[in-house]
Amino acid sequence: MTAALLSTIMILATLAAGVYAIAVIDRVCSAAIGTATLGPAAAGGNGVAAITVNAISPNVFLAPIHQAAAWWLAPLHTTEAPDATAWRLAPVLYLTLAAMGLALVPWSETFVPVDLATGIVLWGALEPLATVLIFLHGWSANAHFALLGSYRYVAIGLSYILVSMFVLIGVALPAESLQISAVVASQQELWNVLRQPLGLPLFLIVGLGISFWGPLDFADSSDLAGGTSAESSGRSLLVWQFARMAMLVSFSGIAAAAFLGGPMGPLLPGPVWLILKMLFILVLLMALGRLLPRLSPERFMTLAWVVLLPLAFIDLVWAGLEALS
Amino acid sequence: MNLVDLAFLVNAAIAVYSGWRVFRTDSMVRASFLLLISFLAVGAIMLLLGAVYLGIAIFFMMAVEMMIMALFMLMFMMNPAGLNPMNMVHQEKLSMLAGALAFIALGAVAVFGDFPSRPRPEGMDVVVSLGRELLGDSMLVFESAGVTLLATMIGVVVMSSRRGRYGDANEGSVPPGLEPDGTPADQSEHAGDRAEQDSHQAHHH
Repeated sequence: MTAALLSTIMILATLAAGVYAIAVIDRVCSAAIGTATLGPAAAGGNGVAAITVNAISPNVFLAPIHQAAAWWLAPLHTTEAPDATAWRLAPVLYLTLAAMGLALVPWSETFVPVDLATGIVLWGALEPLATVLIFLHGWSANAHFALLGSYRYVAIGLSYILVSMFVLIGVALPAESLQISAVVASQQELWNVLRQPLGLPLFLIVGLGISFWGPLDFADSSDLAGGTSAESSGRSLLVWQFARMAMLVSFSGIAAAAFLGGPMGPLLPGPVWLILKMLFILVLLMALGRLLPRLSPERFMTLAWVVLLPLAFIDLVWAGLEALS
Repeated sequence: MNLVDLAFLVNAAIAVYSGWRVFRTDSMVRASFLLLISFLAVGAIMLLLGAVYLGIAIFFMMAVEMMIMALFMLMFMMNPAGLNPMNMVHQEKLSMLAGALAFIALGAVAVFGDFPSRPRPEGMDVVVSLGRELLGDSMLVFESAGVTLLATMIGVVVMSSRRGRYGDANEGSVPPGLEPDGTPADQSEHAGDRAEQDSHQAHHH
């Protein structure tokens, strides 16, 4: 019972701290790279609010809190005949999926909140379930731009969910197990990031995809006036943006476990190594989010099927040959 | 009653209730996702039975399937986003009869069937044994089904792709005229003529 309680507290605290870290890192990246502060703050048709908030709080450590407060205090507006239940539930359930994903990440050899024999497959199932919720979020608002955003997400999402599956089968091969703790243990001698060099770069693209971040922000993009969250406001929008960043935190945990040896490392204790690796992945994602150009949805779709998916096949064949030798 | 029994009862209740709501709701998308909830509850029951791979396989299979089903139904529907109420049931008598027969048949299997009682041996890895089954004795069946499904999917993608072996599917297509045999909508007369010539040329080839 105490173990379950400890796991729950650990997961919730990590999600909250991780989301704050992402908001800060993204602002630092934006300032360093010199692009205008768009990203999560501007999504949801709240670009104006985000700009004013950023104008009054130039301090990167306070700005996320100001932004959250602005969403918390903003009134909740509605559309004509929305599916109110689905509209309110989608952000909460998306956050739940993020928490489920983080629960699979091993913190040390002995402390794994949920050490499921098919942990990799469960993460693989969370991605399509997230697709359902992102679709539901856009659909239930009963508005054009929101619906277009959800159509886009489903159309494009399937292409990188496939990439994710192949890359994850690749890390399960040398471990001869679908258990995430076994995948971590299999990297005792060599981390998967070196053993399967195509894996992590492809998986990072998946991470940007499932949280529709940066260049892969097709669902909530500014060309659709905020896409699936075009009609969201107030606390509902706050939960949605929080959940989206929580999904990135959860993704960084899975990526660290699958490719960077999870909690393994010299001198420092396991959880500290895991947190450092998660932060590394997050910094990488935020920088990529600012540096990579955003393609039009059709072009990205072609890129995903014609370049990324064959690369994922090569990664899988590579992993297989490497496991045989 | 222990925790596992309680979890089973809750999931069974969710599966039955949401399955029933599928037929009582008034929107295609809601119906698809209620069906998804029903399947997720069944997947959770399979996890309780110790089928750790198959239970989770239900999660991702059904998530993708219901998503695609909802999307296609939306695309073929007249009312935008499918939020306008619509009647979800038709052929009621036939469906009731089919439903009652299926229920009696499956219920009879459950009640009168002779199920073996073979608890899982201690230390047996169900995922490994499932893998050995799928790639061992049942390999021919599963691989044939898998390759057939893959061929079907590739066929569907080829047929629905905009770029086919006869060129771009949009090539030479014109919107319908504003009146019978009239100028195509949203195009100048000249552009309409050119498109018509193109389509004639296509016929000659």
